[in-house]
Amino acid sequence: MKEKEHKVLIIIPAYNEADSIIQVVSHMREQAPWCDYLVVNDGSTDTTRSLCEQEDFSYLDLPINMGIGGAVQAGYIYAYKNNYDIAVQVDGDGQHDVSYLNRLLEPIIEGEADVVIGSRFLEKEGFQSTLGRRMGINILSALIWLVTGRHIMDVTSGYRAVNKMFIKIYSEDYPMDYPEPEAIVAAIMHLGRVKEVPVQMRAREGGISSITFKKSIYYMIKVTLAILICRMGYGIRRGKREDIQNPRGKE
Amino acid sequence: MIPATLRLTLIVAVICYFVIILYFLKQKALNLKYTLLWLVAGLVMGILVAVPELLVSIIHIFGIQDNMNGLFIFAIGFIIMILLSLTSIASRQNRKIRTLTQELAILDKRVRELEKRDTE
Repeated sequence: MKEKEHKVLIIIPAYNEADSIIQVVSHMREQAPWCDYLVVNDGSTDTTRSLCEQEDFSYLDLPINMGIGGAVQAGYIYAYKNNYDIAVQVDGDGQHDVSYLNRLLEPIIEGEADVVIGSRFLEKEGFQSTLGRRMGINILSALIWLVTGRHIMDVTSGYRAVNKMFIKIYSEDYPMDYPEPEAIVAAIMHLGRVKEVPVQMRAREGGISSITFKKSIYYMIKVTLAILICRMGYGIRRGKREDIQNPRGKE
Repeated sequence: MIPATLRLTLIVAVICYFVIILYFLKQKALNLKYTLLWLVAGLVMGILVAVPELLVSIIHIFGIQDNMNGLFIFAIGFIIMILLSLTSIASRQNRKIRTLTQELAILDKRVRELEKRDTE
């Protein structure tokens, strides 16, 4: 198997996911036994931490709640320090099906992409989210197309795989509050090859989404601004990949 | 021209201001690094109170008619600048706390692993 040549870390950020975390981790161990995993307990106030301890999971315990961005970044820092080749982020609430892991890993192993996003809209199967959310996602998708020229459908998907180059980039700088769309812009601006692969997602198994209806307006404003500022931060950078060092060596 | 009584009030106010800041500094309730900004502000206030003609001519350069209005505009501008710098300090500290928390969590995992290896 080609997978075994690559050290893969699955990062599972978990904030108050006591209802689902055991199921998520055991499912992953079954489906992807060759991968390491790392639960990042983001200062949960429920029993998430003690469950991890009790079940002897591999986990990071953030002493204070930092939000999804800080938790995922902690995972990337861990991956960077432990010299992983590929990092995959999966939500701790069981939305993301690990059986699609190979689809995410393949483009990276083949060297076709640097960042792979599991998209629920490519084949329009599985849980498609609510109409309002889909509208919001489409607006953000259009905005990202506008500022980067790249078409990404499922910009809020937190189901992603990145290669070594982006483990380093994300461990140094990862957006904070609602990081997913911004992280795509950052990836494109670092001249990363971003690819979407079709996956199915489930409705949540437990816990509550971090984005409630009340917060969605704030979410849209915040993320729109974040994308624009993120894009501004890179200025006009339309050079070739070789302009930045190519840490992957061969290509 | 700024009235003499107002000038006196302002002088007293500036002196109070410096006394309070120096008191806080002595108590180590303020970090000198972040207090420099306030000290500079006090210095500027002191100079303007001592030489009000300077303030008047600056105000006229900016096209403000009324001296008192000019004083308020400058004061508000200064406060906004200080608040902005405070926000930037808060953001920088936020970033540092984040890094510390993440490093702490990674070290915590390592300690747990080492302890486990020891007991085995």
